[in-house]
Amino acid sequence: MSEEILKALAQLFAIITKQGDGVTEKQRQYVINNFTQKLDKDSVNEYMAFYDERVGYGKEKKQRADGAVPTKLTSVKDSVKTLAICKKINETLTQPQKFYVLQELLELIYADKNYNEERKQIIYTVSQTFNVAEEDFQVLEKFVLSEDGLDLNAEQVLIISEENKFHENNKFVKLDEHCKGTYLFMRAPSVEVYLFRYFAEEECMLNGIKLEAGDTLLFSNGSTIKLKSGATFFYSDIVSHFLSAVQDVKLSFNAIGIEYRFFNDKIGLTDINVSEDAGKLIGIMGASGAGKTTLLNVLSGSEKPNKGSVCINGLNIYENKKGVEGLIGYIPQDDLLMEDLTVFENLYYSAKLCFGEASRKDIIEKVHKTLGDLGLAHIKDLKVGDVLNKSISGGQRKRLNIALELIREPAVLFVDEPTSGLSSRDSENVIDLLKELTYKGKLIFVVIHQPSSDIYKMFDKFILLDTGGYQIFYGNPIEAIAYFKQMARQADSQSGYCVACGNVNPEQLFDIIEEQVVNEFGEFTGKRKTNPTEWYQSFKEKFSFKPLVDLWNVHINVPRKTSRLNQFLVFVTRDVKSKLSNTQYVAINLLEAPLLAFLLAFIIRYNNTEANTAYVFRKNDNIPAFILMSIVVALFMGLSVSAEEIIKDKKILKREQFLNLSRMSYLYSKVLILFSLSALQTALFVVVGNSILEINGMFLPYWLMLFSVSCGANMIGLNASSTFNSAITVYILIPILLIPQMILSGAMFSFDKINDVVKNKANVPLLADVMISRWAYEGISVHQFAENKFNKRFFTLEQKEHIAQFNTVYGIPHLRSGLEQLGEKLVKNKIEKEDIGLYYRPAVLFVKDYAKLLKLPKHDYEKLDVIFTEINQNNIEKLQFYLAQLDEVLNILYNQTSIQKDKLITALDNKYGEGYTLKLKDEYYNENLAEYVRNVNNAQKADVYEGHLIPKTEYIYFAPIYSHGVLDYRTHFFSPVKVMFKHTLPTYWFNVMTIWFMVLIMFIMLYFDFYARIFDGFKKLKKIINS
Amino acid sequence: MDALSIKATEDTPNINFDPATGLLEISGRSLPEDAAGFYKPVLDWLKQYASSAKAGSALAMKLEYFNTASSKVILDIFNIIEKIATDKKVIWYFDKDDEDMQEAGEEFSEIVNIPFEYKTY
Repeated sequence: MSEEILKALAQLFAIITKQGDGVTEKQRQYVINNFTQKLDKDSVNEYMAFYDERVGYGKEKKQRADGAVPTKLTSVKDSVKTLAICKKINETLTQPQKFYVLQELLELIYADKNYNEERKQIIYTVSQTFNVAEEDFQVLEKFVLSEDGLDLNAEQVLIISEENKFHENNKFVKLDEHCKGTYLFMRAPSVEVYLFRYFAEEECMLNGIKLEAGDTLLFSNGSTIKLKSGATFFYSDIVSHFLSAVQDVKLSFNAIGIEYRFFNDKIGLTDINVSEDAGKLIGIMGASGAGKTTLLNVLSGSEKPNKGSVCINGLNIYENKKGVEGLIGYIPQDDLLMEDLTVFENLYYSAKLCFGEASRKDIIEKVHKTLGDLGLAHIKDLKVGDVLNKSISGGQRKRLNIALELIREPAVLFVDEPTSGLSSRDSENVIDLLKELTYKGKLIFVVIHQPSSDIYKMFDKFILLDTGGYQIFYGNPIEAIAYFKQMARQADSQSGYCVACGNVNPEQLFDIIEEQVVNEFGEFTGKRKTNPTEWYQSFKEKFSFKPLVDLWNVHINVPRKTSRLNQFLVFVTRDVKSKLSNTQYVAINLLEAPLLAFLLAFIIRYNNTEANTAYVFRKNDNIPAFILMSIVVALFMGLSVSAEEIIKDKKILKREQFLNLSRMSYLYSKVLILFSLSALQTALFVVVGNSILEINGMFLPYWLMLFSVSCGANMIGLNASSTFNSAITVYILIPILLIPQMILSGAMFSFDKINDVVKNKANVPLLADVMISRWAYEGISVHQFAENKFNKRFFTLEQKEHIAQFNTVYGIPHLRSGLEQLGEKLVKNKIEKEDIGLYYRPAVLFVKDYAKLLKLPKHDYEKLDVIFTEINQNNIEKLQFYLAQLDEVLNILYNQTSIQKDKLITALDNKYGEGYTLKLKDEYYNENLAEYVRNVNNAQKADVYEGHLIPKTEYIYFAPIYSHGVLDYRTHFFSPVKVMFKHTLPTYWFNVMTIWFMVLIMFIMLYFDFYARIFDGFKKLKKIINS
Repeated sequence: MDALSIKATEDTPNINFDPATGLLEISGRSLPEDAAGFYKPVLDWLKQYASSAKAGSALAMKLEYFNTASSKVILDIFNIIEKIATDKKVIWYFDKDDEDMQEAGEEFSEIVNIPFEYKTY
């Protein structure tokens, strides 16, 4: 207390003493005692001199000898002085402190038991000026001045005595049989202060300090009162009598015989027993690595123990998850805040997830109330910010974390190291907050590390763990210190308190528990005096464990669960808000695409015209590369934007798992947001890229394909994000995910020129079929070539023309030279089995395919099948003859189509003006791309595969040559159409659908957390192998 | 606004508040049994007056004696006067032999923010 306040107090004492008959020795003695508690000896004398002067101590006696009558009425000066003192005190002391001052003034009266009208008036005025609640004052006045408790009559009073001869309004508890006396407790609800008095002959100790009967004492947090006869009153027990909320909550929490082993079979917890009911604050302490957090995880149900059970109201929390839904809350050590949202928004969305079915107004009200309760109201609009970029303090972050759980009001709350990294003031505030919750009937478990004396005393019980997960103590905090001191045979082992200051020293506990053996040189040997098992044994011997009876069929209200749709909406709005408020994120994501598009398109806008005239799209050699790069960009953007998504939320998801939220809703929200972002990014990319390169009329096809690619990449990213624990891992993974997409896109390396192991002679290799890039590249290229404004008019004609040309130039010569070789072999009689498939069957099938063009007489046509089943010189000649004939027919067909094409060009030019088609071609047709899709640079032009003649050039014109069955979608690269279920689809649309099919598969894998399960499977397998 | 006028009794003071002149006078002895009850209409009247007070309002305190409970109410009265936006003052009267009353006035002047004028009678 400051000097100023002490002086004020001395003055108040003086003014009160002066009233009526003036100072008495008893009162003076009280004042001396009072100051002795607060001051050193010298100062007491100083203040007493001050007091004596004010009351006129010593002088007065003389006056009395003169026969002067002391003034009856309070002097006006003293009245005003009292007001002035109170006003000064108001500026410094807190409400509970003011309450103590009031209590001391009343005790001063009690000292000489002369409560005259003037004194009454002054004390009442002081109480009013202090703004002490009227009711609390009324009870306090009676409580302090009562002689035996019989005159007390208030709900705020608890009397513990042998028999109830007291007013029925008081709370009454019967005293233990062999004890005597009356013990009074009062609670002042407005300031949450508890006071104690007693009337008995017996010796009574408060926190190890001997008390005088009749004195009023502050019964502070964690205090214990012990009677000589053995009865003990614990703070928490006394408090629970006053708090009706605690009595209303019916809760039993029983954890019996818990044993837990880690993956590697190391013991995590050994035989832990905990049994609690509502309204308790339980601390879990232990050396680091003793298993505190593990115990918290097991008790909260997030880890299943190998042995033992945890039941809330008789419901096993591992087996009956539905039954305990909403009852358990968990506050992890790390912050679980959405860093880009404000304090208010964090709490608001969290509340929306728990109370989704309540009205918006109710939820906002609840959020405001909770923020107010936790002292966060003034910072509600501040952005939370990350640890490095702080806008709110560590203590505020912690409190907000607690608020997130609190708003839901779970019946049992688990808190992991809430004070780590906080200042002692902040730590105390946080524990205060938790303590207050227990008054509302919550059961709270807190892992705590090195608590201060004040914090330590606030706990109702402690669970102490030692290395190896041994439970070495479970009970009252002060008793813990006494017990360990006693075990260590320390002096003064009866008291857990420092008698002088009332402080406890929790560190002592660990000094004793972990005390080491000293060798003859006085050095620590590193060996413990008492090992964990010994502590565990002695605890088991000294303390018996009696679990509470499980309260079956007790229903605890939990808020109605939010519907999946509402969860989805909350997830989406929360995420969008969070992203939008991060300006850097928004800027990069919006600028990335157009910037890259500009960079890429601008650089590769290559002008290949001879005369250096204006840029002509047709002549730009870089279009195929541009298509590839667009796909790579779409993949990159899609992957990088999604890679961190789930990891970032992992911690938040861990907390929200206790809400039993729908994973589907969560994933849908992620997917919706990412896909929207992908749609926007790819659209921006295509707009900029295509307009710079003058790729006309292709916006939608490019965009749809790139959007699909980006969505595919989003799904890959989400899968990776949900599998791995850190964002860095996922970012390192990006090249592994992306480079195969480039290698097997079909753009960089022709599928015709790759390793035989991978290669397929006729079709795109299967390995490439799992690559999104390959479908996209093919789709865009084919569409760009076949569906542009120019080619669209000529494609069917050109198809005919080029197929005829291929057959005459490459196909038929290939078959005929094959037949020649076969003929030679036949002469030498050296025909082998595969020669049939290699030389004979292709020719036969070719002739059959084109039989109509031969215009054979009917009987010859029918004979074809018979002829071709047998290889002989005659048949070979016949085939040669047919092929020669087909060559001629196809040559004619080729010429005819060429003329038809020319005619069409002339007609178009006539219709739209001279040079129209050429202009069209310049603007829409790209020569380099044409070379790619026609595969004109391939040296080998024709080949045979499984008895069929297959083209190795002019890919874009050939439909799939043959198909094995309904599900066989496979074709050569750049085929203009795909066949599946006997339906022909344009390649572009088929490929888009394929990518979306892959997206769907990946979503399903994501939903079931496919990869994470595989990883777990590996871990389990390893464990089996190891054991 | 009507003037407030309460006649003095053995234990209660004479009260004469005139809104027209802005002169507010309390005189006599104040030791009512129920101080809060007695002064309630006075405080109510003042609260209303404070919002439309005349400039140069003066509270004249001509008390011979007041008890502790009254002193709290007097402080409440001062607190209302304190809030009057315009010019205001307290005129503290005391018997030139009554040192107690003089010092009480001085104490009051220290805890409220109103100019005090001291006059003897």
